[in-house]
Amino acid sequence: MTIPAERLAPHYRAFKGMLDERGILFSFSGYLSEGILYSLGDTLRQKMTLDDTDVTTIKKVFSVFIEQAQNIIRYSAEKVLGNFGKAVELSSGMVTIGTENGRFFIVCANTILEEDVPRLRQRLETLQKMDKDEIKAYYKEQLREAPDEKSRGATIGLIEIARRASEPIQFDFERIEDDKFFFCLKVSI
Amino acid sequence: MENLMIAATERSPEVEFDFAAGRLSLKGESYPEDASAVFGPIFAALEQFVAEAEGREIQFDFNLIYFNSSSAKALMNMFQLLERAAQGGVRVVINWFYAAADETMQEFGEDFSEDLEHVTFNLVATEG
Repeated sequence: MTIPAERLAPHYRAFKGMLDERGILFSFSGYLSEGILYSLGDTLRQKMTLDDTDVTTIKKVFSVFIEQAQNIIRYSAEKVLGNFGKAVELSSGMVTIGTENGRFFIVCANTILEEDVPRLRQRLETLQKMDKDEIKAYYKEQLREAPDEKSRGATIGLIEIARRASEPIQFDFERIEDDKFFFCLKVSI
Repeated sequence: MENLMIAATERSPEVEFDFAAGRLSLKGESYPEDASAVFGPIFAALEQFVAEAEGREIQFDFNLIYFNSSSAKALMNMFQLLERAAQGGVRVVINWFYAAADETMQEFGEDFSEDLEHVTFNLVATEG
């Protein structure tokens, strides 16, 4: 879709307005790298500090953001890999942070392979049903155990996310291709 | 054994292991892309040190602002190693520093300390 030059400002103002109306502080869609994760995370902390958000809330939001972004980097089914002097791995996904009803929310989304859906769904459902104390106990149990090789630490990352959430985590899957699903996870703090 | 001194990066902590003095310190933030690449060498050096430290006193200061879940796992491995060393006759004192207003880091300290019977674990609140 080509936008005529004289319609550019209204077009992109409407686009930004749509995000603003939803209370979004910032949203990133595209190829994520550890460098972007660092910069977005740093800006997020600065913005919350300037807004006089309390230290514990900043920590929780930052932690959920980092775990979610690192999950996208590790598990997105849409990746480009290459090597030009150094190994580069870029993973496609989306991270959105905003406020609604007096709470922060963080949504991450990425494409995942169908074969990975049942295991992820089961992990998230388990966490969704747990109360705070159960999540905390589960976290400690997983911390003590030897790492689950295939998941590269996914379990503990999801528990950390659920632990920082102020209400049960929400998630959804939508089929987008024969063997791929769109996955999103929403956390409120 | 040679000291281990590693400068902090944007996403990994400063390491100061003065083995001769028995003073060890981890400081800063930890959310690297690959936690095992960061903590592997740290853990290996610590393991070698405690193996020869029977009867000695070790003070280990943790002054961490934030760490991600894979770093938490690496920290737990270090605490388990220190607990075994303490059980085997090394006197281990851990000081866990956290900003007084930071409930998250306080809770992590409390959680880690629960598993340590032979290690002296001090939770130290700091200003700011």
